[in-house]
Amino acid sequence: SCSSASGGDGGEGGDQPQTVFRVAFNQNAEHPQAQALTELSAALEERTDGAYKLELYTDETLGDQAATIEQVQAGTIDFAIVGGSLLENFESDMSVVNLPYLYESADHQMSVLNDQEIVGDLYDALLEDSIDVMAAYHGGVRNVYSSVGPVETPADLAGQKIRVIGSDTNVRMMELMGGVGTPMAQGEVYTAIQSGVLDGAENNELIYSSLSHDEIAGFYSRTEHLMMPDYLIAAPAVMEGMDEETKAIFEELLAASVDTELELFNTAVEEAVAAAEEAGAQFSDADVDAFREAVLPLHEERVTTERTQAVYDAIEAARG
Amino acid sequence: MLLLAIGAPVSISIALPSALCMLLIVDFDRGAITSAQQMLSGANSFALLAIPFFVLAGVIMNNGGIAERLVNLGRVLVGRTPAPLAQTNILANAIFGTVSGSAVASAAAVGSTMAPMQKKAGYDTSFSAAVNVASAPAGMLIPPSNTLIVYSLAAGGTSVGALFLAGYVPGILWALACAIVVFVYARRHPDLKGEPWPAFSVFLVTLWRAIPSLGLIVVAIGGIVAGFFTPTEGSAIAVIYALVLSFLYRTISIKDLPRILYDACRTSAIVIFLIAVSTIMSYVMTYARLPQLIAESLFGWTDSKVVVLLIMMLVLLVIGIPLDPTPAILIFTPIFLPIAVSYGIDPVHFGIMMVFNLSIAVISPPSAPVLFVGTQVAKARLETVIVRLWPFLLVLVAMLFVIVFVPQLSLWLPGLAGLL
Amino acid sequence: MTTARAWLDGTLRAICVALFAVLVLLVAWQVFTRLVLGAPSAWSEEAARYAFVWVSLIGIAIAVGEKADVIMDFLVERLPLALQRVADTIAYLATLAFVLYVMVLGGLQQSLLAWNQKNPLLPLTQGQLYLVLPISGALLSIYLIIHIVGTFSRRYEGHKGTPDEDLEAAAL
Ligand code: NA
Ligand code: NA
Repeated sequence: SCSSASGGDGGEGGDQPQTVFRVAFNQNAEHPQAQALTELSAALEERTDGAYKLELYTDETLGDQAATIEQVQAGTIDFAIVGGSLLENFESDMSVVNLPYLYESADHQMSVLNDQEIVGDLYDALLEDSIDVMAAYHGGVRNVYSSVGPVETPADLAGQKIRVIGSDTNVRMMELMGGVGTPMAQGEVYTAIQSGVLDGAENNELIYSSLSHDEIAGFYSRTEHLMMPDYLIAAPAVMEGMDEETKAIFEELLAASVDTELELFNTAVEEAVAAAEEAGAQFSDADVDAFREAVLPLHEERVTTERTQAVYDAIEAARG
Repeated sequence: MLLLAIGAPVSISIALPSALCMLLIVDFDRGAITSAQQMLSGANSFALLAIPFFVLAGVIMNNGGIAERLVNLGRVLVGRTPAPLAQTNILANAIFGTVSGSAVASAAAVGSTMAPMQKKAGYDTSFSAAVNVASAPAGMLIPPSNTLIVYSLAAGGTSVGALFLAGYVPGILWALACAIVVFVYARRHPDLKGEPWPAFSVFLVTLWRAIPSLGLIVVAIGGIVAGFFTPTEGSAIAVIYALVLSFLYRTISIKDLPRILYDACRTSAIVIFLIAVSTIMSYVMTYARLPQLIAESLFGWTDSKVVVLLIMMLVLLVIGIPLDPTPAILIFTPIFLPIAVSYGIDPVHFGIMMVFNLSIAVISPPSAPVLFVGTQVAKARLETVIVRLWPFLLVLVAMLFVIVFVPQLSLWLPGLAGLL
Repeated sequence: MTTARAWLDGTLRAICVALFAVLVLLVAWQVFTRLVLGAPSAWSEEAARYAFVWVSLIGIAIAVGEKADVIMDFLVERLPLALQRVADTIAYLATLAFVLYVMVLGGLQQSLLAWNQKNPLLPLTQGQLYLVLPISGALLSIYLIIHIVGTFSRRYEGHKGTPDEDLEAAAL
């Protein structure tokens, strides 16, 4: 009743069989991360004479991010791009790089998170769970948006129910910021804001615009509280199966793709802001120092192990 | 198909071939582990929770006399209309869908309340189940609609507001199409004709008796609209309200609770299991890039807008049969939308076409969650429900082509609101 | 044998009823904490999903035990009893094959793989959630074997259509 149409290891390309890596991604093909990987794939195919390329499964078609991590672990797919918070479930020390107000800029974030000296030990801890962290990508800056009004100070958030990622750290963060952190499945958020179950949510400009939340929560305030990285993860067998030369090429291309992605992301944010403004949204600045001050106690609460302290200190030391 | 014919469970007739196809694309161990994982992610969704809750609320309402009071009210209101309870069912689905946006939840909630009533009134069980199944997806079009939100995302941020407004007319047309089929059916079954309009005093008494039951609708639907809770949470609140009211009426005692809970649990488990195994099928198709291969092989030999649209709709109708609406939208929107736009079709109109189309798919056998829920809650036989569903499907497909070729039906309201 | 079966049925029903009751209370609690306490509970939604998956998968085992699963047997019921036996046996074996391969084998491996994957909000791991799959698979296997044995017993009656739902009456 179903035919085998594997897009997998076909024999096209050069004189050697082509390896096609399946990559799962939860957003659309226009997203900066998808674009960067498409470019990476083209370069990889060229540099390896067609021996390797990537095939992207965008739009969450292979399952949500948690499901794609499990598929990477099982080796059913080769790569996935996943949000930083999900990896905390495998190695709780990973939470240190997801703390609010940790980075002073996207460049700061990318330089420390792709520096093996700083995070190598942390990432290696995931190998036990069959997760090989290949690269950290910039995943935007998360800001608060609300249907009530612009949020300038923590006092403005008093009593507002703001959707946050479902974890204790995020609920606590929103509490310190002055609001009421309310975890909820992303799919229910639009109608929840529309009906008033929620007053707002927090996310980067891209998501804000693409989920059309600009239509129902028109006040986007740059609280800049979270800069959570996304990771390209792989099944350990992927790197083990590559010869040294290909490995070197792949790692070089990965490093370049981190820069490409950051550039594309900045352009995408500008476009998203323009689109959201057209839909009627108002962007405003917030008192970032006041929010940072309010949230800092969280750093002490969550940096509790030797490893997290070492990573935390190194990130602090790398501030410009 | 062979499995279905020999009377294997429908779930297994979907599951076993899917698992076998999985073996064609990955090795033995990964086939097992990935199928297992997909089953779990299929079931592990907060939105699906509304199914057992609404089934439970329905069972309680029937045991507790709440449903009867509501339906009596509906009866005196529709009077001489032919097949009054079936028409009430359609109306209830349209109203319910307005708040829940989920066809499965709607079929569960409305069906488990209405089916026993219709049975008591002498309606053919399979017919009442078919009416419920056919009319349940109206809510996927009438806003708010989760399915339209998914489309908006896949279409790169098409305005949800515009899509919501665009869904009203097609959603109402959907309900109307069902009402017409019921009307024709009722004319051939004279025993289903309505009752004379009651005296005003009878109406008042019926209304008075129904007020606490109406409270359920006010609390559950009102609470959702007013923003006290999400539709999924509203379903749990409906359960508690129905339970408290039944205790007050003394129609249910604590002793009955385990039986009622068990009854609802079994019904919803069967449906959830079906959804879980269908997820394996979706995954296999996606992984093998089957939809893309089919789509690519179908375009390119014609540049007629009508032919291209017809092909798209036929592909969606066929592919939508095994695939759930959410993956179908996520997979096909990026492939079809650019082609449609190049022929001058508005993305909002195209979204409505897709959702209307896939709403037909969720009630078309073999893989049809709404059909299974509707059949289960009515305690009917699947094959007879399918036989009675055919006329509805034919009329709805005809209606689909009206929606496709008359864009004004979708674009008029959002145009008025200045959203296009 | 019969007492063991009755005990199993009773235990599973009790588990389902208890889990289902917990499920309603969890979601009600979620609404209560947000609306009345003003401090939304973060864990209740997650806990509700765990309870939901468990109740659904244990529930399907009993449903299959009671032969309440959705089937289309209008063709089978027209066959002679001997052929019905064959058809039923094939159907049960097909189901058993799926259950053993995906739910027991795959479910067990998936559960082991995710055994240390922590849940951000609950003191449980993802692997413990997944454990319901092999458990449900084992229960399903027991019921399926009982049904296969029943197919060959003297008391086997085959499929019988319910008289009030005749296909002929279905035509519009
Ligand atoms: Na709706
Ligand atoms: Na279908």
